[in-house]
Amino acid sequence: MTAPPVIVASGLSKDYGSGRGLFGLDLEVRQGEVFGFLGPNGAGKSTTMRLLLDLIRPTTGSARVLGLDTVRDSLEIRRRVGFLPGDLALYPKLTGRAMLDYLAQLRGGVDPRARDGLVERFGADIDRPMRQLSTGNRQKLGLVQAFMHEPELLILDEPIAGLDPLVQQSFHSLLGEVSAEGRTVFLSSHTLSEVERVTQRLAILREGRLVVVDSLENLRKVAVQHLEIEFAEPVDADGFRALPGVTEVREDGRTVTVGFEGSADGVVKAAATHEVLAIRPREEDLEDIFLHYYRSETVA
Amino acid sequence: MSFPVAKIALRLRLPAAISAAVGLIAVMAAVGALFPSVGHTIGTLNVPKSVSNLLGGGDYGTITGWFRSEIAAIYGPLVIGALAITGASATTAGEEEDRILGLVLAHPIRRPRLVAAKAAAIAAIVLIVALGTWIGLILGVALGGGGITLAHMTALALQLAFFGFATGALAIALGAGSGRRSLASGAAASVAILGWLINSFAPLVSGLDWLKYLSPFYYYAGHDPLTHGVDIAGVIVLGVLSLVLTALGMIGVEHRDLRA
Repeated sequence: MTAPPVIVASGLSKDYGSGRGLFGLDLEVRQGEVFGFLGPNGAGKSTTMRLLLDLIRPTTGSARVLGLDTVRDSLEIRRRVGFLPGDLALYPKLTGRAMLDYLAQLRGGVDPRARDGLVERFGADIDRPMRQLSTGNRQKLGLVQAFMHEPELLILDEPIAGLDPLVQQSFHSLLGEVSAEGRTVFLSSHTLSEVERVTQRLAILREGRLVVVDSLENLRKVAVQHLEIEFAEPVDADGFRALPGVTEVREDGRTVTVGFEGSADGVVKAAATHEVLAIRPREEDLEDIFLHYYRSETVA
Repeated sequence: MSFPVAKIALRLRLPAAISAAVGLIAVMAAVGALFPSVGHTIGTLNVPKSVSNLLGGGDYGTITGWFRSEIAAIYGPLVIGALAITGASATTAGEEEDRILGLVLAHPIRRPRLVAAKAAAIAAIVLIVALGTWIGLILGVALGGGGITLAHMTALALQLAFFGFATGALAIALGAGSGRRSLASGAAASVAILGWLINSFAPLVSGLDWLKYLSPFYYYAGHDPLTHGVDIAGVIVLGVLSLVLTALGMIGVEHRDLRA
């Protein structure tokens, strides 16, 4: 039997006026997945997360988290969810240890072994006052507090901001472990590469509206593709520019890189009119996919 | 009420409260020590009634009048009011603007309980300052040669504490209800200052005497606790006002969006 979705948003809206906010979000996040929530600044990612935690109330629509209503049952939801805000702020005079103790007390206590394990894993400095910590070190404490009560769902807003590559690696492996345990991660980012490495599915928001929800694999299929074609002699690249579906052509000596949407048939046939030494497909990164949807006028 | 929230709010403001209390003790000791040589020289100020009202009577020739004018009329309520208002607005709206409340309220704690805990912490801060006032009065009056009973000094400290509860609760209500620190501290301070002016001037204007009943200052000092002891009715009014304002803050924060 399929487990019920962990997050369900139904027409969820928060209208701040002047076209700002979140509008008619319909979304499901499944149990055990690491779900990426993408969009540029101001797209509505943080608003969605704050709505799920009842920090703000929807203008219209509703959402359920872990099967519970986000407004009526928010206390129980907050008990079972770990949250990392995107603009993490902590009491500047408190040490990391005091801050974690305080947040643990708000949960009625946490297993100290779990907390200490996370502190060690991220190399968090818990003995200095917050005001003396760098952004990265504060972010480590933010991650520790979000994970330390071993929640069923983690809502993480820009979790990698400020982390060095080694800590990022620890964080990614922790996400894998959490997902393997059947726990769910809902994380946002506008830094696309960090989401690409860890998410199974993702949603893209633009100006408060959902543009697309799909697996990374499916998104790649519809995104702009690139072929790098190496010719025996330099060729006139204008012939490629005129082809239907071609979005980009770059020349570098005898090599032409062609970006296109849809079928590769036209590009390959045009290339075949010259002597071709090699054709290399370029692996698409999320940046291309993101930009494809961001630029698109079509709303899914 | 959430004890962890109250504990951390108190802990963060304890150094300021202790400094204020120690400062009050030192000032009152100095004020008391100056009375024998300065007080009798000044005597009773020959100033308009409106001015002498602002200064707590302007009678510097007696130890009671001296402390009423030097401490009870302005300095005491100024210190306790300022600490209560800045502390209350910082712990509610200030933490909200600083984005700390967004993290705290993502934890399983009800908003009204959070506000109640913060109000309790501010009340504890006020009590610490009131205790400093009480100790300072005892010391100052002793250094000034005596002349005020312990009961009357206790009465002033008690009335002052309830004045602090009320001004702090007003800032709690405004801070929790609006999430705006400047509004909470500015409006609460304005109400306190306006109350001081109304309590001083309203009795002098025929037909406007009743306005003094709208001033928290009237319930704090209108009965002159250094001369007449505790004003039970005044304490009850300020106590009920504090509870009502705190309750309004608890209700206000429950039904709005967090600002940050």
